[in-house]
Amino acid sequence: MDNTPNLLCTAAVMHSAIRKLAGEIFKLIASSNGDCALVGIHQQGVPLAAQIRDVLKAEYNCTPNFGTLDISMYRDDIGNRSRLPLIRETSIPFDVNDKLIIMVDDVLSTGRSIRAALDALTDYGRPRLIRLAVLVDRGEPEFPIRADFVGLNLTVPADHKIRVVFDGDGGEPGIFDVQWPK
Amino acid sequence: MNGYILKNARVIDPGRNIDSVGDIAVNAEGLFAEPGTLANPEVIDLQGKVIAPGFIDVHVHLRHPGNTLAETIGTGTAAAAAGGFTSIVAMPNTKPAADTVGAIELLHRLVSKEAVVRVLPCGCMTIGSAGEEMAPIGSLKSAGVVALSDDGKCIQDHALMRRIVEYAKAFNLPIMDHCEENKLAEGGVMHEGKWSVLLGMNGIPSAAEELIIARNIIFARQIDWKIHMQHVSTAGSVQLLRAARAEGVKVTGEATPHHLTLTDECIKKFDTNYKMNPPLRAEEDRLALIEGVADDTITVIATDHAPHTRTAKEVEFDYAPCGIIGLETAFPVCYTELVKKQVISLPRLIQKMTTGPAEVLGIEGYDMAPGKAADFVVLDPEAEYVIDKNTFKSKSRNTPFDGMRVSGKVMMTSVGGKIVYQA
Amino acid sequence: MQWTRKDLLSLYDLSAEEITYILDTAEEFKKVSERRVKKVPALRGKTVVNFFVEPSTRTRVSFELAEQRLSADIVNMQAQASSLLKGETLLDTVKNIEALQVDLVVMRHSAPGAQAFIARHLSCGVVNAGDGAHSHPTQALLDIFTIREKKGRIAGLNVTIVGDIIHSRVARSNIWGLLKLGANVTVAGPATMVPKEFESIGVRVCHNLKDALKDADVVNMLRIQRERQTAGFFPSTGEYAKFFGLNHDTMKYLKPDALVMHPGPINRDVELTGDIADGPNSVILEQVTNGLAIRMAVLYLVGCVKK
Repeated sequence: MDNTPNLLCTAAVMHSAIRKLAGEIFKLIASSNGDCALVGIHQQGVPLAAQIRDVLKAEYNCTPNFGTLDISMYRDDIGNRSRLPLIRETSIPFDVNDKLIIMVDDVLSTGRSIRAALDALTDYGRPRLIRLAVLVDRGEPEFPIRADFVGLNLTVPADHKIRVVFDGDGGEPGIFDVQWPK
Repeated sequence: MNGYILKNARVIDPGRNIDSVGDIAVNAEGLFAEPGTLANPEVIDLQGKVIAPGFIDVHVHLRHPGNTLAETIGTGTAAAAAGGFTSIVAMPNTKPAADTVGAIELLHRLVSKEAVVRVLPCGCMTIGSAGEEMAPIGSLKSAGVVALSDDGKCIQDHALMRRIVEYAKAFNLPIMDHCEENKLAEGGVMHEGKWSVLLGMNGIPSAAEELIIARNIIFARQIDWKIHMQHVSTAGSVQLLRAARAEGVKVTGEATPHHLTLTDECIKKFDTNYKMNPPLRAEEDRLALIEGVADDTITVIATDHAPHTRTAKEVEFDYAPCGIIGLETAFPVCYTELVKKQVISLPRLIQKMTTGPAEVLGIEGYDMAPGKAADFVVLDPEAEYVIDKNTFKSKSRNTPFDGMRVSGKVMMTSVGGKIVYQA
Repeated sequence: MQWTRKDLLSLYDLSAEEITYILDTAEEFKKVSERRVKKVPALRGKTVVNFFVEPSTRTRVSFELAEQRLSADIVNMQAQASSLLKGETLLDTVKNIEALQVDLVVMRHSAPGAQAFIARHLSCGVVNAGDGAHSHPTQALLDIFTIREKKGRIAGLNVTIVGDIIHSRVARSNIWGLLKLGANVTVAGPATMVPKEFESIGVRVCHNLKDALKDADVVNMLRIQRERQTAGFFPSTGEYAKFFGLNHDTMKYLKPDALVMHPGPINRDVELTGDIADGPNSVILEQVTNGLAIRMAVLYLVGCVKK
């Protein structure tokens, strides 16, 4: 079976999508009156959130709070996995109460991670508003969950995975279509 | 029946110092005979096989009466036959214990009904093997016991032990002693050493055995009588025995197949089939035992066949009863570990399973000379197989050797000319 | 690496990588207990049975709280090994528990290997909460976690464990875990309770407290059971404290920033003086706090992996 990742988007297309996301997020932040924060969901939501943060700072001189969230303890497929990946760092170094929180993930696929992330985040307090930004929307969530900010809309067969490689992840950056190993 | 002739086998008869290819004849009376004396015998070709006198096991627990869920005289002797044993000594720690004439008579009756090999009764040294009052040793002798033992327990009162040895000598009964100092061994479930320390288990120190071996040597020397040390397990015991035998003291020792092949490290998985008493010892003890077997400090291999039901053994290690079955694995395990690994030759292994134990019991001329009862075993030393406990004739399955790849198979066992087992 | 074990029986079975994995996981769970909502749904819908065949208060409470913070449903069972012996076998008892569709059994038992024995027969997960003098993996993990948290590493540290080593599951589990992670381990105490055999696995054995404490980065003072005195292992608690207790004088041999640990419950003024137990070097209460995080991590890992 051919497992070679198939390039869906080049790094250049990916970068411009991230800039577009940052621009839209800035509009929301600018129109809201109050504290706001970017929260990246592990694993690939974290570098994406960091890149959005960098664009916001460089181009809009906007510096929201920044956090990371691991959703392992909140997943709904517990007991179905024969191998458990390491829990990564959750860091919410600010008070989430009454904040505007923009959750950031790389790919919106089933929506299950976002459901878990909502549970995880609200255990830290009661945000005023939660919005979701994703780089890629696959368009077929299994839960009634939609993204508020979408970089790209991409479609791949259901048994494929979309892998996002950021600069600094190692390897060629870009967005790839990967077939799950059977 | 006209008798039969077993042809072309390698005949190993340690009692007559024979090791050569030849024929063995058995006459219609079930006695060994000169091949030329039989008219129209049945001829069985045994090219490539070995014929030896039937094995003797001086240490077998038949559990009958008392725990017939674990073994009966029928199943225990069938297991003996399958292991090549034609005579076994039944330990007296049945329930009730074999400490009365009645108990020995019951044993005789059960044996005549169920046994397929010869069962030699052993009587208690003390009443109920409690180590307090001398059993009726003279009467037990009259009832037919061949030896005395409190096996499973050890008389702690040295004065009592001394009197029993003196008394038994007068009745020509050898003593077979389970050597264990209770206070030192108290609470122990495995050998005291590196592995008991690492596993956090209570240990039975080697000293618990060696103290009593030393005591017995002193009494054997002083009283000039035969004391056989059951299941010798430590390097120190081998040394004591070696020195005493060199001096001419009438002491003998037996080693079990498991003490010769397994060590305390096996217990790290908490499998109760490695729990026995004396416990599996350290590697250096195992090597010393092998050395003792090789230099004839240890003249007997005995199984300490100790059946227990699955229910009894399927518990926490601390609470499991001691002991494993051994009749059906003794020869292949010893052949694989001792002969194949060139510790001793096949004739010497056979010696330790025939004339060695016969000497302990005072049986003279245990061999295949014409006129003797035709107790023999046919072995295939080349046969390789994997031990499968589910094929055992024994009622119990408590063996650590299940799944072991072995060489050397018992092909046929005969008691008094009658074939009691055939592979 | 990724976690694949359904049971936690002994640190002897685990690789250094797996031990580190549990410690890393526990760091995230420690934060959960510092939050406003001290609870995560990791074991929601799962049932954990705490089966204690030997009395325990601290360990049981710590496990129970860890289970609650993971949103598990909990059943507590107590039994006496002696009554189990008379009636139902241990195996029958746990098979009956499993037949109620439980997901995890946390068990303490006085017999070494009891958990390993039942784990062979059960498909649900088994966590060893102490088996005789054999093993107490979560206690050792919380000790090691505490050391790593304070010292930043385990490799190369000099760790001395003092007391009734031969009867201690805490000592054995610490020894395996610390050796695997590269610490230098010394065990010390009266010769009757500190067998030389530990040297065979690379542990230094001392029967003199001064030598044992010299240059130690960590000292773990084990509880002395008074019944060992009647069994003849040492003459009196007074003499024990005099020769093997940590006090103002013997503290001098330690490095100034050494950690003083104790698995509890403490016999004040026997294993160590009250001043030291409450003093600046003591991390005894932090051990308790970390125990919760370690048990949450362990329960999460063995409870969430596919059976």
